[in-house]
Amino acid sequence: MANILNIAQTGLFAAQAGLATTGNNISNQGVAGYSRQQVIQTTAGEQNTGFGFIGDGTDVSTVQRVYSSFLATQANSAQSTLSQYNSYYNGISQINNMLGDSSSGLTPAIQNFFTSIQDLASNPSDTASRQSVLSTAQSLASTFQSMASQLSSDQDDVNSQIQGSVTNINAYAQQIAQLNESVAAAQSTGQPPNDLLDQRDELVSELSQEANVTVVNQDGNYNVFIGNGQPLVVGDAAYQLQTVPSSTYSGQLDVGYKNANGSLITIPESSLTGGNLGGLFQYRSQTLNSVQNSLGLIATGIAATFNAQNTLGVDLNGNQGTDFFSEAAPVVTPNTNNTGTAAVSASITDASALTGSDYSLSYDGTNYTLTRLSDNTAVYTGATFPTSSIDGVQLSQASGTMAAGDKILIQPTANGASDFNVLITNPSAIAAATPIVTAVSGTNSGTATISTGSVDSTFTSATVATPVTLTYDAADGTLTGFPSTMPVTVTANGTSTTYAAGDPVPYTDGSTIEFGGAQIQISGTPNDGDTFTVSSNTNGTGDNRNILAMSALQDADTLLGGTASYNDAYSQIVNEVGNKTQELNVSSTAQTQLLTSIQTAQQSESGVNLDEEATNLIKYQQAYQASAKVMQVANEIFSSLLSIDQ
Amino acid sequence: MRISTSMIFEMGTSNLNDLMSNISKTQEQISSGLKIQTPSDDPVAAAAALGVTQAISMNTQYGVNRQNANDSLGQEESNLSSAVSLLTSVQSTVVAAGNGALDDSQRQDYVTQLKSDLSQLLGIANAKDSQGNYIFAGYQTQSQPFTQTSTGATYSGDQGQRMLQVSPSRQMAISDSGATVFEDNPTGNGYFVTAAGTGNTGTGIISQGSVSDMSQLNGQTYTLTFSVDPSTGDTTYLVNPPPTTPATPQPFTSGDTITVGGAQFNITGAPADGDTFTVGPSTNQSVFTTLTNLINTLSTSGEGAVNQTVMTNGLNAASANITNALNNIAAVQASVGSRMNELDDLDSQGSDLNIQYTQTLSDLQDIDPVQAYSSLVQQQYTLQAAQQSFVSISNLSLFNYLNT
Repeated sequence: MANILNIAQTGLFAAQAGLATTGNNISNQGVAGYSRQQVIQTTAGEQNTGFGFIGDGTDVSTVQRVYSSFLATQANSAQSTLSQYNSYYNGISQINNMLGDSSSGLTPAIQNFFTSIQDLASNPSDTASRQSVLSTAQSLASTFQSMASQLSSDQDDVNSQIQGSVTNINAYAQQIAQLNESVAAAQSTGQPPNDLLDQRDELVSELSQEANVTVVNQDGNYNVFIGNGQPLVVGDAAYQLQTVPSSTYSGQLDVGYKNANGSLITIPESSLTGGNLGGLFQYRSQTLNSVQNSLGLIATGIAATFNAQNTLGVDLNGNQGTDFFSEAAPVVTPNTNNTGTAAVSASITDASALTGSDYSLSYDGTNYTLTRLSDNTAVYTGATFPTSSIDGVQLSQASGTMAAGDKILIQPTANGASDFNVLITNPSAIAAATPIVTAVSGTNSGTATISTGSVDSTFTSATVATPVTLTYDAADGTLTGFPSTMPVTVTANGTSTTYAAGDPVPYTDGSTIEFGGAQIQISGTPNDGDTFTVSSNTNGTGDNRNILAMSALQDADTLLGGTASYNDAYSQIVNEVGNKTQELNVSSTAQTQLLTSIQTAQQSESGVNLDEEATNLIKYQQAYQASAKVMQVANEIFSSLLSIDQ
Repeated sequence: MRISTSMIFEMGTSNLNDLMSNISKTQEQISSGLKIQTPSDDPVAAAAALGVTQAISMNTQYGVNRQNANDSLGQEESNLSSAVSLLTSVQSTVVAAGNGALDDSQRQDYVTQLKSDLSQLLGIANAKDSQGNYIFAGYQTQSQPFTQTSTGATYSGDQGQRMLQVSPSRQMAISDSGATVFEDNPTGNGYFVTAAGTGNTGTGIISQGSVSDMSQLNGQTYTLTFSVDPSTGDTTYLVNPPPTTPATPQPFTSGDTITVGGAQFNITGAPADGDTFTVGPSTNQSVFTTLTNLINTLSTSGEGAVNQTVMTNGLNAASANITNALNNIAAVQASVGSRMNELDDLDSQGSDLNIQYTQTLSDLQDIDPVQAYSSLVQQQYTLQAAQQSFVSISNLSLFNYLNT
C-alpha cells in the first residue's frame, strides 16, 4: 500500500517535470535556435509480488531536446552558400546601380565630348568652340575619375567588410570554445545541458554565415575547421584569424592566421569559399577588379588614340600637336615574398591590343613565364626576360634580377580611369589642322590632281621645311623633286615599292606616294613639266582635317583587338555586370527557397508549436490530477484500513 | 507534418515582404516609364540601349553638321551668283565697247565701269562668312586671299577644301578655294589660245579658232610670221616651228582658214610685213588678270586703223577669257547646288533614321503601360489577399478555447 503512494508520487513528479518542460517550451518559443524539449519517462522497475510483476511507477530519465544534427548541417551549408550569394550580390549591386545611371554615366560624357568635336570641325578657328571641346573633355575626365573613385571606395569597403567578418569569426570561435568547456563540465553530470547545446549550435549557424566551416563532434566537443583544414576551435582552445595585406595585390586584404611558430600564413582565397567572406572574395576577384580594369582600358584607349591623332596635327599657332590626355602607366607590383632585386616597369605600346586582364610574371630559376590571368594562358615562356610587346604591354627591367620563385603582378589598365586627365589647357593647342597642304600649279596643262595629303607618326616638319615641288617628266614618266635625304615609297594596287633618296619615282595614276611621313596621291594625266607642291600648312586656321579624323574615332573599332569602339567596350561592361547581378539575384532567390525548405524541416522537427504545447499542458495537468487522485485514494484506503478497529 | 508557431509567422511575413517589394518595383517602373531601372533588369537590352543612344546622338550631330554645311554652301552660292551676274554684265560691256563708232572718251566711260566691276569682283572674292572667316581662302581663312596688283591680283590662300562629316559615310566639301573659282580659268578656247604680236603694225585680226585634230595638240606653241612682198603685194606667212609638213611660206588670203598643229583659225584683214601671230596651248589665267588686261586694252587709244586692230584683238581675247571665267564660276556654282541637294536627301534619310532609332530605343527600355498597370492591380489584389489570410491564420490558437 505504501507502494501506491510512491507510485502516485512518481506520477506527480513526472507530471510536474512535464508541466515545467512544457512551460519552458512555451516561454522559449521565440528564442532563435531553441529546440523544443521533451520529458522522457521510463518505468521505474517492477517487483515480483508472487502473483505478477507490479511496476514501481515512473521515472523521468532525461529531458531531451528534439534536434537533428543532419538537418542542422544541411542548413548551415545552405546558409553559407546563401550568404555568399548575398554578399556578392550586395557588392555588385552598387556597381550595377552606378552603371545604370544613364544621365550621368560614361555614355553621355563620351557623346557630349564628340558633339563638341564635331562642332569644332565646322569652325576650327573659333575660340569658343575650342574651349567647349576642352570643357567636355574635362567632364569626360571627371566622369572617369568619379567612377574610378567609387570603385576604389568599393575596394576599401570590401577590405573593411573582410575585417568585420574576421572579427565576427574570431568572436564566434571564442564563444564556441567557451561553450565546449561548459558543455563538457555539464555533461560530466550525465545529463545533456540542452540550452548550452542549443547556444553552441546557434553559434555554429551564425559562423556559417561568415564562412564555410566543418564541424567535427568529438566526445561532445565541437571542433571547428575553416578553409582547407585550418583549425578554428579545438576543444576549449580557439585560434584567431587575422587580416593580412595581400602579397600579390597591393591595397587588398587577405585572411591569414598565426601558426605554431608565430609566422603569419595567408589562407588562399580559393579555399575560403562560402559565407560572407567567400562572397566578398568572389566579388573582388571576379567583378570589382575586372570592372576597374575594363574601365581603365576604355580610358587608356581614348587617351592613346586621341594623343596619336592630336600629335599628327598642328594647332592654331602652327605648332605640332601635343598629348591631349594623360596616359596612365601600368601598375607593377612585386610580390611581397620576392627575394630577387629586379626593378621592373611596364609601358603600354598598343592600346588596341590591350585585353583588360592582369598578368603575372614568374621566374623559376631557368625560365621566365608571363601568364595572362583572365584565362590562365602563358603568353610568354623563355630563358630571357621578356622585352617584346605582348598584348599591347612592354616590360622592361631597369636593374637587378628576379630570383627563383619570384612573382610580379602587372596590371596594365588598373589606373587607366583614375589617372585620366586632360593635359591641354590652352584652346589654341587643339591640333585641328594637318601639317601639310598640297597645290597644283596654275601653269599646269595636264589634268592631274593631287590629294589634300595626310601624315603619319614618322612625319616631322623637316619633311616640308622647304616646299617640295614635284615635277613630272613625260619622257620617263617619272616624278622628281622629292627631298634629297628621304626615300620614297609608292603603293599601287596593294604592292609597295621603295625608291632610294634622290632617285626619280615612276608615276602611276592614283598611287599613294609616301616620303618623310607625308602621304599624297596624284591622279589623272599630267603633261610634261607639270608641277605639284607639298608644303607646310602655315596660317591654315580653317583646316579641319585633323579634327575630322578625331571625330571619326567615336565609332571606330579601336579597342580589344579592333573589335570594339569605346561605347561597345562600355556596353560590354554594362552587359557583364548586369548579367552577373541578375544571375546572383536568381541564385540568391533559389538558394533562399532551399534554405527556407530546410529550415521548415528543421522547425517542423525542433520548433515549438503552441497548440501542441497547449495539448501537452492539458495532458500533464490531467496526469497530475490523476496522480493526485491516486494519492487521495491511497490515503482513503489507509484511513479505512486504520478505521477497521474503530 | 509539424509546423512550429514561429515558422507560421516567418513564412507569412516573408511572403508579405516579397509581395510588397514586387509592388514597389512595378510602381517604380510606372513612375519612370522605363522597364530597365538598372542593367540587371535586362542586361542585353541595357547594353543594346547604350548602342542605340549613341546612334541617335551621332545621327543628330550629323544633322547639325548638315545645317552648318548648308549655311556655308549657301553663303558661297550667293557670292558665286553675284560673281556670275557681274561677269555677265562685263561681257555686255565688252560687246558694247567693241563698237567701232565710239571714240576714246566714250570708251573711258566703259573703263570706269570696268574698274568698278573689278573692285566689286575683288570684294566678292574676299568675302567673309558670318563668323568672319574668308570664304575663298582655302584653309587660310583668317587672311585676306586676294590682293590687287598692277597686273591683276595675287592669291595668297591655298588650295584646301574644308570638309564636314555630313553622314556616317560621307564627307562633303563645304568650300571651294579661291584658286578653283577665280584663278584656274583657261585662256582662248580652252585648248589653245591665239594672240596677235604686240608690235604688229598691220590690221590682221585673228579669230579664237577651234580644234581640228585633238591628237596633234601637244602643247607646242607656233608663231606665224607674215611677209609682204614689196613688189607683188602678196602676203605669205611662215610657221615656226614648222609642223610635219616642210616649212614653206604659205600664201595668205584674208579670211582663209589656217590649220596649224591641230588648231584651226582664220586671220582677217591685212597683216603688215613682219607681223606675228602665236598659237599656243591654253594656260590658266586669273579672272582678275583678264579684267585688268581688258581695262588696259580699253584705256589705250583706239583711234586709227592700227590702234583699232590692236583693240579688236584685245577685246576678242578678253571676251573669250571672260566667257571661260564665267563658265568656270557657273560650274562651281552648279557643283555647290548639287551638294546642297544632296544635303536635303541626307536630311530626309537622317530624319527617317532618327524615327527608327527612337522606336528601337523605346522598344528596348520603355514599359508597356497597359501591362504594367494591370500587373500593379493584380499584385495589389494578391497582397490584400495575403494580408487578410495571414491575419485570420495567425488568430488560430488553442489557447483561445482553453477558458479554464
